[in-house]
Amino acid sequence: MRTWKLLLPLLALAGLIGIIASCAQMKTVPGIPASHPETLAIGQQVSCAECHEDQQKGTMKAFNAFSHTRSFVKNHRFYAASDDRLCATCHKSSFCADCHTNKAEMKPSTRYGERPDREFQHRGNFITLHKIEGKLDPASCYRCHGRANNDRCVACHR
Amino acid sequence: MKIACCTLLCAASLLAFPAGILAADVSIDSSTYFGFARKDVTGAVKETLLPATQFLGLTVAGLGDGNLSLHLYGWGRTDLGDKSSSKAVSNDIASFNSDKSTGSLSYGYLQYRFNQANATVRGGRFSIHEGIANELVDGVSVRTDLPLGFGLSAFGGATVHTAKIYGENSDGKGDFLSGGRLNYRYGGLLEIGLSGVYETAAPKLVTRTAANYRRVGGDLWLTPVKAVDIIGHSSYNPETKQFADHSYLITFKPYQKLNLTGEFNQQRDQSFLYAWTMFSSSALNPNDKSTSYGGSASYEVSKNVEAAADYKHYSRERGTAERFGGDVRLNFQENSVRGGIGYHYLNAASGFAIGTNPSASYHELRCYVMHDTKGLFSAIDLLGNRFKEKIYNETNAWETTATLGYHITPTLALSGDVGYGRNPQFTEEVKGLLRVTYNFIGGKK
Repeated sequence: MRTWKLLLPLLALAGLIGIIASCAQMKTVPGIPASHPETLAIGQQVSCAECHEDQQKGTMKAFNAFSHTRSFVKNHRFYAASDDRLCATCHKSSFCADCHTNKAEMKPSTRYGERPDREFQHRGNFITLHKIEGKLDPASCYRCHGRANNDRCVACHR
Repeated sequence: MKIACCTLLCAASLLAFPAGILAADVSIDSSTYFGFARKDVTGAVKETLLPATQFLGLTVAGLGDGNLSLHLYGWGRTDLGDKSSSKAVSNDIASFNSDKSTGSLSYGYLQYRFNQANATVRGGRFSIHEGIANELVDGVSVRTDLPLGFGLSAFGGATVHTAKIYGENSDGKGDFLSGGRLNYRYGGLLEIGLSGVYETAAPKLVTRTAANYRRVGGDLWLTPVKAVDIIGHSSYNPETKQFADHSYLITFKPYQKLNLTGEFNQQRDQSFLYAWTMFSSSALNPNDKSTSYGGSASYEVSKNVEAAADYKHYSRERGTAERFGGDVRLNFQENSVRGGIGYHYLNAASGFAIGTNPSASYHELRCYVMHDTKGLFSAIDLLGNRFKEKIYNETNAWETTATLGYHITPTLALSGDVGYGRNPQFTEEVKGLLRVTYNFIGGKK
């Protein structure tokens, strides 16, 4: 216990020095641009590889790590969790909030009926299917409806 | 809530201002919807729904020294016919958590972005996506990169509450939430993160088991070679003293036109769903596990054609299931005409079925066509299900929606949908929607 009492101030001091040293170095740490250099039109099909072909042009991650392939769109939760700053260079927060919100008033597939090509969840007759899908993979329900956006759930699930 | 609704609807009147008088760094997203739905619900009276909904987003960048920005987004809705919210099954539930007028502030925050190190400070209502933390808070967050590849983020604030659970006086959440993430990145090869989230004690409930929401975990992103990408996370629930979930994805892109993926997900049901108060998930059997794994392949056959196939296996205490299928996407005339057709089959045991059905298996077929021109845009979408065993005496469910719209100006569009469907839940459903969208992007670019 005595050793800890001696060590704690030393560790705190070391931590403080570390923080001060880090802050002094902050100006040398580069940042990604606040927004994408070129505005992309809604629905525009682009080949990101045209500019992000290799890492020599300044991208920290390999192009494959953020290329919007179909598997990327389907599994975007992984990428957003580790680097949503990169998402924010092109997408405004409202793009995410269309689906991921505390209260979703309208199914995204209804709201964007003109975009059937987007991989929206709960398309069509999901009110029947959710009784199967919820038993199959409850974790997929919980991620969006466990702690938020469950107004409609609580109406029936009493 | 009515105040929020009125505020949003009033704010929509901003549209009356010509875009030219708005500051250079202002952008506005406005979508107004007038809906129509007639539902014939099994065992209940027919409903006519006429909701009018306004979504409004405002972003003002370049405030102060140029690094401060304001971000607002929310919606308000009023019903011109029957109540539209919570009417999933019958009139009986309409009196609970529903109102003829309502609204919500999805987010509203001020952000200061420093010029170096991707450092940001946020204050207000915002979403957090940091490792295993995926939350909405009314509070403050800070984040910065540090020298030597490290990064640090932290957040804290009031929990954003949602609908009260039936028979209870709360939604089961604690009132204060905090968390953060420490990460290390080695160039374009590796990133590892440690994150955690802590919510103050859950409120006592009348009929359900209250459960505290606390989680710690780690996340990984690894690109050992350019064509391979591994990403995922594992989380641990200190309340149950068990791992809550493991979720990993590997992507292999041997060359530009071919994309292969494999995934593995496993949840300890009680630990992962622990704070899902609606189902008293903290009372689940601690030994129950949900596991799924699978893979997908997509191939760009030509510039105009992409084909994909996928497979996923599910395993739970109640049985096993598998889903497989594929789809083809087409585009012509420089993407102005796009379409897709897909088929999937879920082969699921009786444990996943509705009620006493002997099977939960069903086929799903979907196809769509879109056509965009400078002025007009249109789409037709068709989705059908065929159940192996009848559900509520119905073998099929299907829905079709047609959309036609016109870009009045580059920023203003008017469009409408009509839809018709039949399914076991709603024996007949007719829907219509009129949509006015306005997207103005200011700025100095």
